[in-house]
Amino acid sequence: MQSIINSILKNRNLIIYIILSLITFNSLYTNSSVHYSGIEKTATYLSGKSSIFSSYIYSYFNLRNKNQILIEENLQLKKIEYKNNYSSQNLENNSLESKPLNTANIILNSINKSKNIIVIDKGILEGINEEMGVITSLGVVGIIKSVTDNYASIISLLNTDLKVNAILKNSSTIGSITWDGLNSKYLKLNDIPLSSSLKIGDTIVTGGMSFYFPKGVPIGSITNYDNSSLEGYYDIDVEVFNDFSSLSTVYILERTDNDEIKTLLND
Amino acid sequence: MTRELIKNGFFYTSILVSQLLIFNHFNLFETITPSVYLIIFILYKTSYNKTTLIFLGFITGLIIDLSMQTYGCHTFATITICFLRERIEKNSFGVNANLPSAMIKGTQIINRLTFFILIILIHSSIYYSLVFFNTEVLGKIFYYTLINSIVTFIIIWVLSKLISNK
Repeated sequence: MQSIINSILKNRNLIIYIILSLITFNSLYTNSSVHYSGIEKTATYLSGKSSIFSSYIYSYFNLRNKNQILIEENLQLKKIEYKNNYSSQNLENNSLESKPLNTANIILNSINKSKNIIVIDKGILEGINEEMGVITSLGVVGIIKSVTDNYASIISLLNTDLKVNAILKNSSTIGSITWDGLNSKYLKLNDIPLSSSLKIGDTIVTGGMSFYFPKGVPIGSITNYDNSSLEGYYDIDVEVFNDFSSLSTVYILERTDNDEIKTLLND
Repeated sequence: MTRELIKNGFFYTSILVSQLLIFNHFNLFETITPSVYLIIFILYKTSYNKTTLIFLGFITGLIIDLSMQTYGCHTFATITICFLRERIEKNSFGVNANLPSAMIKGTQIINRLTFFILIILIHSSIYYSLVFFNTEVLGKIFYYTLINSIVTFIIIWVLSKLISNK
């Protein structure tokens, strides 16, 4: 207590100066319209700046929630997109029907092996089953390989064992997409006959003739092709739309008619 | 002591009255209004109480504000120089800052000039910044500060010479 009193006495001139200054500014603020508007303007500017600063901090700490909201919103949009586009296409083409079921976060991912696997944080309890297709808003990611109660593993497109049915978007020529295990940005489009016309930049989408993906899900675009093969097929390089090194959230596609078709095939 | 108090009281009153009746209505070229009352705070002896100086500055500023309808501009400028006076003394006079009448005798002229100029310039710049209170007229604030500081300095310097000769 004594030290507080000593400190006040030591700084009494400063304290008196501050008090008298406040009285003066109050007088200016209440009596002079010029100073009133000036102080109001300054106060508005300072409060605006501080609000922006605090909202930056709040936004930063709220990014995770915002991200979750956006993912949910995106999922709803995907459902509408699939309902409007793919369902009608599939009915016309007698193709298989599927729709986005769920979102999942990637918890494990690799791109530097020849058989890359992705692990997501959802499993049987969330309705995830084996052989479901996995996509992002940019395109195909892979297929569910195995599932536990809370987790599922995905065979990535960057896995030399995976072969996905694909077509040239413009000409509907059917082929298959594989990965040669070399560069994570490029896939190979096989089985496209030399009689087909194609050009660099053509988009490759899923063909719809599989259990996993509906027709028209983007995969990548042609960056290079070689027509000198003696086997009668192009050697085509496809730049994949997804950046597999930075995947974070994926959509799982639900197939409504897989079991029925499998039963038919088994019979 | 009583004699000194009466002498100082008379000096204070006469300066304040001359400021209110003469210098406040100076308005030369519609620009120059010298703040001659600053001589009170310049000649205030270094041995006197600093807290009293701040209160004296507040009361003086308030009286001038009431007469000029400047709502507190003079008061704030005056209490600021009263608060900063101790530091200005030390910067201007150095080791001689403990001489009671350092500002009029017993010190180098350059020290005294620095002391006078610093007090007048600080006061004028605060006062005109508050009067215009707009960053868009910085040039005008600078111009008014400079012109009024020069005139105020000349008058105060002459008055201080007269007082020291007495």
